Amino acid sequence: MSRIIRHIFLIVAFLFLAATGLISQRARAATFTASLNRDTITLGETATLSLAFEGAQPKTVPTPDVPGLQIVNSGTSQNVSFINGAMSSTVTVTFSVMARQAGEFTIPGLSADVNGQQLSTPPLKLTVLKADAPPAAAIDSGNEIAFMKLSLSDKKVYVGQMLTAQLQVCLRDDVQDFGNFQFTSQPADGFTINKMAQGQNQREQIGNRIYTVIPLTFALTAIKTGTLSLGPFTASATLVVPSANDQGGDPFFRQFFNQGERKQIPLATGTLTAQSVPLPAENVPANFNGAVGDYQLTATAGPTNLTVGDPVTVRVMISGRGDLGSVTLPDQTALRDFKIFAPTSKVKYSDQLGMEGDKTFEEIVTPQNSDVHEWPRFSFSFFNPDDGQYHTLTEHAVPLLVKAAAATPMPAIAANKNSAPENQTPQDILPIKENIGLLAQPSTPLVARPVFLAAQAVPVLAFLAALIWRKRTDNLANNPRLRRQRAVAQLIASGMDDLKKLAAENKSDEFFALLFRLLQEQLGERLDCPASAITENVIDEHAVLRDAPQPMREALHELFQLCNLARYAPVRGTSELNSVAAQFEKVIHELQEVKA
Amino acid sequence: MKTKVRSSERQFALTKRRMEPVHVVSYWILVLLALVFTGNVFAADVAGDFSTANKFYAQGKFADAANAYEKILASGTASPNLLFNYGNAEFKSGNLGKAITAFRRAELLAPRDSEIRTNLNFVRNQVQGATVRESRWQNWLGNLSLNERAVFAAITFWLTFLLLAAKQLRPARAAKLKSVTWIFAALTIFSGTILGVQAANHFSRQTAVVISAQETARSGPFEDAQNAFAVHDGAELSVLDRRDDWVQVADSSGKSGWLNKSQVEILPGA
Repeated sequence: MSRIIRHIFLIVAFLFLAATGLISQRARAATFTASLNRDTITLGETATLSLAFEGAQPKTVPTPDVPGLQIVNSGTSQNVSFINGAMSSTVTVTFSVMARQAGEFTIPGLSADVNGQQLSTPPLKLTVLKADAPPAAAIDSGNEIAFMKLSLSDKKVYVGQMLTAQLQVCLRDDVQDFGNFQFTSQPADGFTINKMAQGQNQREQIGNRIYTVIPLTFALTAIKTGTLSLGPFTASATLVVPSANDQGGDPFFRQFFNQGERKQIPLATGTLTAQSVPLPAENVPANFNGAVGDYQLTATAGPTNLTVGDPVTVRVMISGRGDLGSVTLPDQTALRDFKIFAPTSKVKYSDQLGMEGDKTFEEIVTPQNSDVHEWPRFSFSFFNPDDGQYHTLTEHAVPLLVKAAAATPMPAIAANKNSAPENQTPQDILPIKENIGLLAQPSTPLVARPVFLAAQAVPVLAFLAALIWRKRTDNLANNPRLRRQRAVAQLIASGMDDLKKLAAENKSDEFFALLFRLLQEQLGERLDCPASAITENVIDEHAVLRDAPQPMREALHELFQLCNLARYAPVRGTSELNSVAAQFEKVIHELQEVKA
Repeated sequence: MKTKVRSSERQFALTKRRMEPVHVVSYWILVLLALVFTGNVFAADVAGDFSTANKFYAQGKFADAANAYEKILASGTASPNLLFNYGNAEFKSGNLGKAITAFRRAELLAPRDSEIRTNLNFVRNQVQGATVRESRWQNWLGNLSLNERAVFAAITFWLTFLLLAAKQLRPARAAKLKSVTWIFAALTIFSGTILGVQAANHFSRQTAVVISAQETARSGPFEDAQNAFAVHDGAELSVLDRRDDWVQVADSSGKSGWLNKSQVEILPGA
């Protein structure tokens, strides 16, 4: 017994606590706070703005808009805690805040409708510092724990020329760990920054300290003329440095037992400039198409013994140093004796920066007549920025033995899966069409139109209707009593009309004959016996009717007696017949209600 | 006073006469004729503009031709041939991205047109740099437009359920209809599945086609974000996300970055 009481007490206590928690949750006023994880950042770094709604959810979350700041929603989290029976729920919406320029910014006070209350936050200040490279004096003194240096391989470049920039990340010798290195900005005006490669770490004496130097090399391409600028590159990194609180003791042991202090630091370089000059306008080869670098050329063609229309695979390999990705084949439209299919190209780099390697073009050409005797000399021109001159490389012509072929279908060419169909001319696009064709209004696809989707319900409904009809038909076929019930109901319905007609025509004999038959049919159906076996006696003899209401039984008796009387005194008036018909109708309805 | 009464009666009589069914039918016939006539005039206008654009093209004025085709498209009407010619004009004007966009839109309307596919492939071969191409199954899906596939799936669906209904109404023929019903049921499941896949592809796998000469994808959705990678005119990139005026894209090598909406044209999947 005491156990049961204890259980009841525990349940009551739990319910009380839960109720108290819910009440306190409801009773507690909602709060809305805004906070920044950092109030000072360096240009390129990101601060996190958190909007916390405690106690209730806001109708809409305000998004701050501050000129000069890029504020982007970065997610929502919800925290529910249940402490001492009090439940609290906090929804936190976080935004990433990046600055476009250095300066002091104020994120204005924000307002939100929380649980019908208009809540506001105070304004927040964010200081954005310009990322500057440390001065040379600070580096030489060894005060800088880490810094970055940027250098360019060339100060004068030609437009289209590739060059390299080296970034050195220098870490002082007392840095215990280095990680989470991320560039926050890499501005380049007039350059495109291509691939990057990391070199071998080195140790170097800079000023009066030893630094570990991590070299990073970037490949750049000059894309315009004039003064080009690179930097300042900014980055952030996490360093572990010896803890300032643990400087005592033996230095030997300190290096093992000092856990160090983790710091996130901003890094920045200076800005470098280079002069980009246009390619010389003099002595430009006729087939020069913009290749800048130092290249070699190899070209092959085969097979050389063929018939008109047979494919010849021409492979052109341009190898060397330069922006191979932008190298294209010279214009070949003058080669009228050949049908030239669009070439494919593949670049293979031999260095990590993507500045050296080879580019192989493969094109399928077909001689158009038997007068063709050679694949002509192939020339490729480029501008070499090292000597400042244009060069033209030429490969010898490849002799071809082309035999005439009578109406030979052109073989399928499977060299270029992306090229045009084999029977088309891929030297140029197919010509335009003369007729506009069937016009159509751009519209929503059918699958997204509610009418189309709703129309799909029609066959399903038709099937369901057919299924229901089938079930009902089967049910009727398997139930003779139900069948008889329906047939009698139909007979009574039509019989009532006939009775009224006969009453109107004052045909008493026919009227009572029909009335008697209808009574027999209806009673026979209710009592489940042949209609011909029904007489007035069944009203008192049959168990079903014995339990029926007395007025109905009396009315039935009366109707039977009227029918019997009519045989001896047939003449009656229309009004009397009508009243008999009405009485019959009433009795029949009551009879149909009797449980068979 | 009498005159006024007579006049209002006449007015009522006239109103009644206007409401007679014969007149209502005549009225609607006139409205329909007006609509047909207006449509014909509109079609004639479009055909005239199309012919003018074709003339520009024939004269080698490709930029003018492209503008003329674009004007017709801006009126809200399109046809595979119109988009095909527009793609040609943009290609000849040196705008690979716009040409690819036009050919791909034409392909959506006429997916089995070999000439559109030929020109699209030809232009794609001129595009530099990494680009996202349709996989083999996406190409297969693209053989039928989404609407064609929806109609096909709807036909098989309707026939399946009508056959099922027929089996209920004519049980004597149920045995004969059984195999046909099974065939249509299998076709419905197959075509419905393919339709689902194609619809998902159409609505969720969007492609951004770069339509400006050379652009740099940024690592974030703002102008000052650092460079992520360079993209070239005509490059087709997968759309990963959108934010305000920015679209996050990825190339075939998996590199992702943000491009301004003005630099790209967004196309639905096959």
